[in-house]
Amino acid sequence: MADLELQNIQKSYGATKVLHDINLKIDDGEFVVFVGPSGCGKSTLLRLIAGLDDITGGELFIGGQPSKKLSPKQRNIAMVFQSYALYPQMTVAENMGFSLSLERRPKPEIREKVEEAARTLKLEALLDRKPGQLSGGQRQRVAIGRAIVRNPQVFLLDEPLSNLDAALRTETRVEIGELHQRLKTTMIYVTHDQVEAMTMADRIVILNAGRIEQVGTPMELYNSPATEFVASFIGSPKMNLITGPAASEYQAVTIGIRPEHFDIVTDAPHWQGQITLVERLGHNTIVYARVPDVGPVTISLEGQHDYEVGQTVGLGADLSKVHRFDSAGRPVG
Amino acid sequence: MAARYLVFGVLALIAFLMTAPSAMTLFTALKPPEELIRPAWTPPTAITFENFGRVWTDGGFRRYFLNTVLISTVDAIVMIVLASMTAYAMVFMSFRGKLALQVLFVVGLMIPVTAIILPLYTTVRSLGLINTHLGVIFADLALAMPVFVFMFSSYFVSIPKALHEAARVDGATELQIYRRVVMPISIPAIITTGLLEFMWSWNDLLLRLVLLPRDGMRTLSVGLLNFQGVQTRDVAGISAGAVIMAIPVILLFLFFQRHFVRGMTAGAVK
Repeated sequence: MADLELQNIQKSYGATKVLHDINLKIDDGEFVVFVGPSGCGKSTLLRLIAGLDDITGGELFIGGQPSKKLSPKQRNIAMVFQSYALYPQMTVAENMGFSLSLERRPKPEIREKVEEAARTLKLEALLDRKPGQLSGGQRQRVAIGRAIVRNPQVFLLDEPLSNLDAALRTETRVEIGELHQRLKTTMIYVTHDQVEAMTMADRIVILNAGRIEQVGTPMELYNSPATEFVASFIGSPKMNLITGPAASEYQAVTIGIRPEHFDIVTDAPHWQGQITLVERLGHNTIVYARVPDVGPVTISLEGQHDYEVGQTVGLGADLSKVHRFDSAGRPVG
Repeated sequence: MAARYLVFGVLALIAFLMTAPSAMTLFTALKPPEELIRPAWTPPTAITFENFGRVWTDGGFRRYFLNTVLISTVDAIVMIVLASMTAYAMVFMSFRGKLALQVLFVVGLMIPVTAIILPLYTTVRSLGLINTHLGVIFADLALAMPVFVFMFSSYFVSIPKALHEAARVDGATELQIYRRVVMPISIPAIITTGLLEFMWSWNDLLLRLVLLPRDGMRTLSVGLLNFQGVQTRDVAGISAGAVIMAIPVILLFLFFQRHFVRGMTAGAVK
């Protein structure tokens, strides 16, 4: 196990700078999630930590040691790839024990470690199979197993759930969370899915256009977004961002109100809107409405409701939870 | 339906035209001397293997065959190793001068052997390798290398980069990745390269004619010329020699056909 420190990390491809002065400290045993839209640099940052790409500027410390010049092996990290990257000609057991065989560890030791990891991940019955004979979820577990066997200082996971179907993704997400609880190893997890980030992370690092927008616990990011970008990125459905005269009422260029902080009211509504779509999810109902002079608004209501498309409704908002932003997207006040 | 018959007829005609020379060669090789005056497309009425025996012993084909097997086998094996290693470096590694090297190989693809045969002869002679199998092997490898580097590169680019990266994270050196990760999943490319290089080497005439003047060092393709004089031609001998020369290549193709097709089409579609 080890802590990590990124000091002014930069990455350029020719004249194009893709990461700008990334500063971040990750504590020993922490589960940190890098999240952001496509092209924000989150996978690049993970690859720099892994040693798969060269760091253009800055310094990386793993376990207090300057690690910028070290090879991936010397960094003692393990990585789970988006595509799993299992060696197709090897069995599950050979895949999991590959790194140990490279270190010329004795065969009984390799077998023991592989079997131990297989037990943890419920892979015992699959050890003699080839990756081509496994389902997506099983391959994912083998990829994680290959990482566990090495007992690394840091686990890096690059969008490991993106190739799984929705049900399996939720299941594997829980398994990875439990694995972290058990191993207590530092984990850095990259995803573009903010739900994964919110549910798994001790801390979330939100990246945008090669810069860190905000670092914090999931609830810090949800309750106190440092920028308009973070406010819009965290939360599902997305926060309503309203500009124009409606925002000026609050001395802001943009105001943000989360869908769950809206309500449909009959007494003294703040705005009147016409419903354009209703999504009924059982445990909650999402109503999309168009408000004159404000624009489209999303409202998330707990429970089941019978609103109809075309119906005009009054909207009320919890004013204590209105987020105000200036023209640069920074919070006001 | 008529169109289908027409297509079938055209394909049958093409198949006939392609197999006819081989069939005529085989018929001639199997004919006794008294039947040789009959047209070549008529099958032998009495089959004899005397021509094969004559070519193998008196014609020196036993020696030529061993020379050819030696050169072609070494060519194929060394080419697999050299071309795959070069292609591996081209595809998976970053180094200074990579682009220049790639351009050099592309240029190499464009130069015909006949255009450089004299400088090649001079080079091999200056190395003291005229009349040696090693000289021919060096020349074969140098001339065919760009083709097979290109072939291996085409195959390697279809291997996910993540596999290479996963092996690096696992602690493998480039040589270990090459040997334990990349090559075991490149069997079609290995077989295609081995087979093609073996066949090219087996069939080549020009280089062997120029670089191996001594009879004891010659190969089958050069040996066939022994049956052809200025005024006369031993048709049965040439035919029997050609059949002997063709058999190993045909057997290899039949044995590795499945892998060969996969190797040739690698990278053609996703």
